[in-house]
Amino acid sequence: MSSIPHDHAAAHGEGPDGHAHHPTGIMRWITTTNHKDIGTMYLWFSFTMFIVGGCMALTIRAELFQPGLQVVNPEFFNSMTTLHGLIMVFGALMPGAVGFANWMIPMQIGAPDMAFARMNNWSFWLLPPAAILLVGSLFVPGGAAAAGWTMYPPLTIQAGMGMDFTIFAVHIMGASSIMGSINIITTILNLRAPGMTLMKMPLFCWTWLITAYLLIAVMPVLAGAVTMLLTDRHFGTTFFNAAGGGDPVLFQHVFWFFGHPEVYIIILPAFGIVSEIIPTFSRKPLFGYASMVYAVAAIAILSFIVWAHHMFTTGLPTAGILFYMYATMLIAIPTGVKVFNWLATMWKGSLTFEAPMLFAIGFLFLFTLGGFTGLVCAIQPIDVQIQDTYYVVAHFHYVMVAGTLFAFFGGTYYWLPKWCGRMYDAKLAEAHFWLSFVFFNVTFFPMHFLGLAGMPRRVPDYAQQFADWNMVASIGSFGFGFTQLLFFYIVVKAIRSGAKAPAKPWEGATTLEWTVPSPAPYHTFETPPFVK
Amino acid sequence: MDTTTPPKPDDARRQRSANLRTALVFASIAVVFFVGIITTKWMGGPTIGIGVMGVAVLVFLVFAIGRNVRK
Repeated sequence: MSSIPHDHAAAHGEGPDGHAHHPTGIMRWITTTNHKDIGTMYLWFSFTMFIVGGCMALTIRAELFQPGLQVVNPEFFNSMTTLHGLIMVFGALMPGAVGFANWMIPMQIGAPDMAFARMNNWSFWLLPPAAILLVGSLFVPGGAAAAGWTMYPPLTIQAGMGMDFTIFAVHIMGASSIMGSINIITTILNLRAPGMTLMKMPLFCWTWLITAYLLIAVMPVLAGAVTMLLTDRHFGTTFFNAAGGGDPVLFQHVFWFFGHPEVYIIILPAFGIVSEIIPTFSRKPLFGYASMVYAVAAIAILSFIVWAHHMFTTGLPTAGILFYMYATMLIAIPTGVKVFNWLATMWKGSLTFEAPMLFAIGFLFLFTLGGFTGLVCAIQPIDVQIQDTYYVVAHFHYVMVAGTLFAFFGGTYYWLPKWCGRMYDAKLAEAHFWLSFVFFNVTFFPMHFLGLAGMPRRVPDYAQQFADWNMVASIGSFGFGFTQLLFFYIVVKAIRSGAKAPAKPWEGATTLEWTVPSPAPYHTFETPPFVK
Repeated sequence: MDTTTPPKPDDARRQRSANLRTALVFASIAVVFFVGIITTKWMGGPTIGIGVMGVAVLVFLVFAIGRNVRK
């Protein structure tokens, strides 16, 4: 892709740091409507929540280090598993993806900012109160919600005040996500630079466009589900209360109608990031661009018709089981197209293995492994054996952590020079990758064995036969957790004292954001570029 | 478009209206889904409710993506 370049700093009367005409200090961050500022806040918020959720994960693994230990009491353990899931999904992964979207989408399509700049500010500032509600629920009478992140009734109908905090937090985060999605769709559909047709957009923008459609379709459904839960708890309705003629399984249907597309909401932006990194460090255009776009759309559409594979043990009719089983397996086809195209992009490319590429390849390898175990779970006769075991925990952590989180790390190393104008310590970043890769596998690979041997998830203690692999997993988890402090150090060191980054630090990069100086000026593309 | 010519005020107004139209369409979809899921549950028939919602989502996605790809 080529474009007519444009001297942004000079055009907008900005100083050499690219900052002008905006408040300074704390007010800059509270009142900002600039997509780069808001993207930065999303990313820091996501990292903060990642650390909070990570501490909860370490509490879980400390409790499970040996059978018979009681580091925390069982009720608190249940709260930890619940909050860890909610915080990682709604507080870390989704805001992280929105942070990347805020920073990169306007710059990649040649737009001056997001379409609704004030709403963008509001979308972000809804998140901290929601996070406070979630974490604060630990301190209310009865403790935090402890029924798992899926919030299944009837347990959640009987739970204490912490559940109400959780429901309100989900409402707020849902509203934030819907506003963010509307903003992203409007920006992409209406603010693309002249010549930037939809099929010329970088794949990251495509994945986010489709993700935003998914979000608008499913977040209101989750909001509806938790609203019904709330009215069951406090206003005498019986949507999910069997005692009043309701149906608890109904909640599972509604929840997973949201919950399965949610998996793709989290992974599709990661696909987009990886689709930017691999061509850059292969020094080749992305193989099969159009098929990648159609594959993402196919994954999104299929994600709506597979939700009940999470419910194979609830007594579905045989026809339903067969439908959901085969529909789930169908997702492997577009996903396979994507994996094939990433490999074909690398094939005969001039590969170099900088940190972003290492994370992208790590993503490719481990996400594919997670995908394969997903296929195993999709086979209903097997699923009834491994439902609610550690096999499932291993599967979704290979998708969520080695998939999305690795892509986020790769994306951060890829775009950090553009964000802060400084290079990071490449050796440390490579060390971060290798430590993360090894410790991740030490943590989660043994969980496949534990699950196949029958260890149930969400239990604070277990039989002696599971002791060895649990100890290995716990050691790995602490290694993985502490490795992420290295990531924090690398980023802060780069921001404070990294070597100055050129406008285009990666010779294979071709998208529009690399035509502006590093760091990106506060305002970019106020006069739209022309994309050839 | 000539890259040296900044957008005219008329263009900016048109742009804002187009943005607002797009946003309202998507906001209304979100509201329909939120109210719809509760209403279908309230009126009973979980299978029918979920089925209708599922078909609505599919038709919406096919229409929305297809319409934009053609551009």
